[in-house]
Amino acid sequence: MRPCGTFDEHYSQDMAILRIKRHWGFLISILIFLYTFPLYGSYYFISLINHLSITIIIVLGLQLVSGYCGQISFGQAAFMAVGAYTSAVLTGKAGISFFLALPISGIVAGLIGLGGGAPSLRIKGFYLAMATIAIHFVVMWLIPHLEITGKTQGLHPPAPQIGSFSFDSDEKIYYVIITVMLLMTYGARNIVRTRVGRAFVAIRDNDLAAEVMGIELYRYKLLAFFISCFYAGIAGSLWAHWIQVVHPEQFTLLHALNYIGMLIIGGGGSIPGVFFGVIFLRLLDEGVMFAAPLLASIFPWIGIAPAASMSVSVFGIVLILFLIYEPRGLAHRWEIFKASYRLYPFAH
Amino acid sequence: MREFLQLAIPGLMIGGLYSLVAAAIVLVYKSTRVVSLAHGQLLAFGGLFFWIGLVALHLPLWISILMALVCSTIMGWLVERITLRPLIGQPLISAFLMTFAIFMALDGVFQLILKGESKTYATLLALGEFDLLGVPIRIVQLISFAVVLFVFLLLALFFRFTKTGLGMRATAEDHQLSQSTGINVRTIFSIIWVISATVASVAGMGTAYVMDIHFPLPYIGIKGLIVALFGGLDSLPGALLAGLILGMLENLIAGYLDPLVGGGLKDVAAYVLLLIVLLVKPYGLLGLKRIERV
Repeated sequence: MRPCGTFDEHYSQDMAILRIKRHWGFLISILIFLYTFPLYGSYYFISLINHLSITIIIVLGLQLVSGYCGQISFGQAAFMAVGAYTSAVLTGKAGISFFLALPISGIVAGLIGLGGGAPSLRIKGFYLAMATIAIHFVVMWLIPHLEITGKTQGLHPPAPQIGSFSFDSDEKIYYVIITVMLLMTYGARNIVRTRVGRAFVAIRDNDLAAEVMGIELYRYKLLAFFISCFYAGIAGSLWAHWIQVVHPEQFTLLHALNYIGMLIIGGGGSIPGVFFGVIFLRLLDEGVMFAAPLLASIFPWIGIAPAASMSVSVFGIVLILFLIYEPRGLAHRWEIFKASYRLYPFAH
Repeated sequence: MREFLQLAIPGLMIGGLYSLVAAAIVLVYKSTRVVSLAHGQLLAFGGLFFWIGLVALHLPLWISILMALVCSTIMGWLVERITLRPLIGQPLISAFLMTFAIFMALDGVFQLILKGESKTYATLLALGEFDLLGVPIRIVQLISFAVVLFVFLLLALFFRFTKTGLGMRATAEDHQLSQSTGINVRTIFSIIWVISATVASVAGMGTAYVMDIHFPLPYIGIKGLIVALFGGLDSLPGALLAGLILGMLENLIAGYLDPLVGGGLKDVAAYVLLLIVLLVKPYGLLGLKRIERV
């Protein structure tokens, strides 16, 4: 559903992400808001946005491989760990600048991700999902057993620096994180409307038909895994330098499961869906954190600190409801809403 | 040789439990074509119900076993009725994701009940040890191994000789065709989930005896899924064989290779095996190779 009264006269207009002046207005005001936020925002919200942005980068990668290419991957947390450790080793032990280590850790995670995509030659669907779970456990087993990753103690990467300016606080690294997040979003939005993105969609919809059309299945599946793990690696690197501690406990299967949940709730095959899913689940978590002590005081038998287990449960229940009632996710609801306000006051 | 037996025989005992979980997963897959991650929770709750009966409520042994079985039966029925029935006709991958959502939802409840503690009933059921080829084995484990074999026998008889079992085999072949011969496929789905939850809870009671009721218990379900894939997702004998092999292999690898690499191999061996199986023989040891048609 296009905005009323906009007509395309060139192909470039037809392809445009931002169609009308109002879109540009929205974009610029959001950018201004994001970049000036540390001037007046509280510490809590700044670190919340940092966390959200990093999660968005990971889920964007997952969206490309699962939502667009249809290859479900449970290995995203492990590839994030690869990125985080690569970056921590490069900056902490080799003394390379963070801004060089960031893309390198993305590429290293991507290359290891090719190993994760390798089984997709022979298997698909839940077989592949199981293979990625296996890869997760193999990677997470290797990390505490290698000398270079600091064994079970983890690593302490330094804060990023330009000259003598150090991004050592949440407010300062905020700018790095949201800039990377915006760039990655722009990248993902563009990948899906190129030849590669269309090939991904064709593979998702019917892999045999895609092969008949001349899409090299294996190459594109591997490419999807590479891109997705590249995203995870970048996110891991940002995470490492924001928290400044890298530890195997930060990248569990539960995290990977959460990312899949965000993808389902947001809606597969949609870039805005990633934002919806991540923000929705994060807010839900915050809501549970808020509600849990209240519930615990009303019903003492549920224990002293029920927040962690309750948030897992609520997450599962919300996921069940979404799978039954809105399998296309919040992004689909958003499309319906957009269509209805553009048509208002008419029904069709 | 003695060392080998000391590693292999306990592995075999655990492997029997793995194959029981795998059997529960295979049952569901055979009839409904849904691969289930949720069985880890059904298993954990089976153990938990048993613990509640035996330790918390001080019930006699046979009543607590009965209670655990009945509770798991109800749970299996509810899981199918509430979550998976609305998804009939949807892509199978969304049913797979649904079982993962069930896993998460129940995991929270499980943690909430445990409150971070670890529950055990191993001391209550200590029946002493038994010497087999120079290897001491707990008698309860021997009993649970016998129960595993008995359950497999029951399942085989059920599928061969009862009308419902035959209906299930027909449903496994083709949903529409079996519906046209008068089989109520929905009822079959319900029954299969109930049976499968019961089988999982039997496995849960055995597993909880060995490794206590603690937060990693549901993840045995993932191991069960590995065994099911290893043996072939649609083969019950495959599940038995693969479970025994994996249980033994895990212990042998941990025993012989752990000193060389610094520990922890037991947890990762299953996943390495899974990767190898998926790459070399994706349909498993005894599974049927399905040919895809356009």
